[in-house]
Amino acid sequence: MSADPFMIMKNIEKSFNGVPVLKKVTLEIQRGEIHALLGENGAGKSTLMNVLGGVHQPDNGLINLNGEAVKMTTPRVSQAHGISFIHQELNVVPDLRVYENMFLGSELRNKIGFLKVEEMCRQTSSVLEQLGVSINPKEYVRNLDTSYKQLIEIAKALLHKSSLIIMDEPTSSLAEHEVNRLFKLMNNLKNSGVSIIYISHKLKEIKKVCDRYTVLRDGEVVGTGCIENESLDTITKLMVGKSISEDRFIHGHSFGPVLLEVNHLTSEGLFNNIDFTVRKGEILGFTGLAGDGRTELFESLFGYRKNYSGSIKINNQPVKIDHPSKAIKAGIGLVPKDRKENAIIKDLSVVHNMSLSAMRNFEKFGFIRDQLENQIFQSYKEKLNIKVHNAGITIDKLSGGNQQKVIIAKWLEVNTDIIIFDNPTQGIDVGAKQEIYHHIITLAEQGKAVIILSSEAPEVLKICHNIYVMYQGEITARFKGEEATEDEIMSYATGSKREAHQIG
Amino acid sequence: MANLELKEYNQQTSTTKTRLSWLWSEYSVIIAFLIIFIAASIMSPRFLDINNQLNILMQVSIIGIVALGMTVVMLSGGIDLSVGSVLVLVGVISVLALNASGSIFVAILTALAIGSAAGFLNGLMVAKGRIASFIATLGMMAGARSIALYIAEGGSVSGKVSGFTAIANSDLWLIDYPIIIFLIMTVLVYVLMHKTRFGRYVYALGSNEKAALLSAIRVDRVKLGVYSLAGLLVSVAAIIETSRLNSISSSSSGVQYELDAIAAVIIGGTRMTGGRGKIIGTFFGVLILGILNNMMNLMNVSPHLQGFVKGLIIIVAVLFQKRE
Repeated sequence: MSADPFMIMKNIEKSFNGVPVLKKVTLEIQRGEIHALLGENGAGKSTLMNVLGGVHQPDNGLINLNGEAVKMTTPRVSQAHGISFIHQELNVVPDLRVYENMFLGSELRNKIGFLKVEEMCRQTSSVLEQLGVSINPKEYVRNLDTSYKQLIEIAKALLHKSSLIIMDEPTSSLAEHEVNRLFKLMNNLKNSGVSIIYISHKLKEIKKVCDRYTVLRDGEVVGTGCIENESLDTITKLMVGKSISEDRFIHGHSFGPVLLEVNHLTSEGLFNNIDFTVRKGEILGFTGLAGDGRTELFESLFGYRKNYSGSIKINNQPVKIDHPSKAIKAGIGLVPKDRKENAIIKDLSVVHNMSLSAMRNFEKFGFIRDQLENQIFQSYKEKLNIKVHNAGITIDKLSGGNQQKVIIAKWLEVNTDIIIFDNPTQGIDVGAKQEIYHHIITLAEQGKAVIILSSEAPEVLKICHNIYVMYQGEITARFKGEEATEDEIMSYATGSKREAHQIG
Repeated sequence: MANLELKEYNQQTSTTKTRLSWLWSEYSVIIAFLIIFIAASIMSPRFLDINNQLNILMQVSIIGIVALGMTVVMLSGGIDLSVGSVLVLVGVISVLALNASGSIFVAILTALAIGSAAGFLNGLMVAKGRIASFIATLGMMAGARSIALYIAEGGSVSGKVSGFTAIANSDLWLIDYPIIIFLIMTVLVYVLMHKTRFGRYVYALGSNEKAALLSAIRVDRVKLGVYSLAGLLVSVAAIIETSRLNSISSSSSGVQYELDAIAAVIIGGTRMTGGRGKIIGTFFGVLILGILNNMMNLMNVSPHLQGFVKGLIIIVAVLFQKRE
């Protein structure tokens, strides 16, 4: 089988500023296989793919494609060899139409140089049909859902007749049924002889769709083989170097009095008639598909959105929240999702990001006390195991997991009684995920009320006492954490099942 | 063995390289300033003369004070095109207040009030009206100039109170008051931006407004503060400008001040889209512009060509900053 691999990267070495990132990495891809590339953040996956995509030049090693040695000097060369790279951050232009995005940079023109719009639309339609979706090629991309934007990228790769497609975490913004559609599509591609390199942190998906795997750790290949023969546990062990339990993290619990009570919260078109309560020491999970309104619901509760009706009571006192600063005063904190857009201030240093929401803790006579800021940060650094050598560097230089820990430190410093986490482990590797779960549980044990929003059912199953499922802006089911199952949550989240109001 | 040594050597050069590039990205404007300063002293012997040096500082003090406010606005992600017009409006009204009341104190208070009110209005349009700062301040630029022209009937107004001119025309041990005021303002704005909550919020807002709001920062209030501060600094500059000649022209004073101020801020390394930049950078940016003007005068470059050189310098400065 390995006699004639389609693509080999052999003994690739690469270092940045004298720090080796890839150490003699070898990767073999067969024709028509889906190959999982695994590893924690910072293991070297993206660097390896950037070498293949022509973004970085390797210090050593060679790339063989179809038995011929090739040099990927620029991304264009790589594309010309039939390699498409679908990045985690979508590279679509929202203000252009679907077909314009598909043909961006390779527009079809007639003899005088005018665009052949109808021809491009026709080809776009046929490729999209192949993917099993019907979108008007003349629709503006900004009007489409995120998952469709992803499909456009994949369609683009098909259009260019790629023989090797690299997908970097393609499912992170997709809902369950869209993920299934993607997998079906990947299988079709595979059968037609296209090879796929699939990068993901979601091991269950990998088990479902991939044929073989290669695991990187600290820039070295630590394992490769057929997926079928391995259990998820062994692969996880390879990735992090230790085994990680998939069991529920929380067991016995005792709750205090009700801290937050929400009644009839409604916002036109976003969410409708939401009732719930959270008690001290409770971890409450909200899950559902993308677009179910949970993010908007809690952004309203936090005062980021103002157009809503209904009542919010904290400690039995009605509160009116129309700005995040009032939410903090009322005792609500929010760790938002989409860290890069909503949480980090990339031009501020790590320390300054930590202190931003609680500046009054660091002031004396109106002036900031730099020393105190640094001291407090050091204590969080130890407590949350934040890996940063010099806290004066800007936060965008840290890895995703460490950025998230800094943001959590920021909200710990605000020290609100109620704390909301929206997708707290988005784009974070397995090791850091476990750490963050433990910190969240510690918060609840200290008597805070914690609310977790997540589109990953296993996540809420693991750490929540109670789980609410939302579908199209309404709460469709309420479970006790130990009684819920993933399947059942899914059937309520997709709207195929619906529960009568008011239980528990 | 030899191989290993080679590797280590390579590593060392690469770290010195990164250190050099760090030094350049942090202090490029100061390095540029030193180069221009040394070049100027070689090219013209008169340049280093203490009177010439003080002259340069005196000439840049007005634009310098305006540029400090502009830096804060641009750090917040906005821009203020109205500074020149507001300066004239403040000048005209404060001279009228001076003549009517006969009190220098009243004139100064009026100036500060009008300047910060105009800035506050800019802030209201940007923060509450959600108008792009370019548009809002463009409107203010046209409006303020027009009102100044109307009040002064298109001409100049002169002060009739002796003593008013002393503000800009006195010195302390050789150093003119405007220079001292400029230096004090620089220090104050520096402290405000780097040692207080307000400054931290301005950087945060300019870097990522949504994240700043979700960090519970009262973004609209910070914006109001930013534009009001810019207006206040403009009124300080207006007092100096008016006092220097004891009069202000509603048609020709303050013209293109916004461009000079923006140029100084950009040369000083502040990013157009906000979130990144330094007060110190603007300080040296202002000095660079001052030295260039001075050199061109000393070397008898035609005044018609001076704009060309200035334009070239701005573009070169930005080109170099892109290298980071």
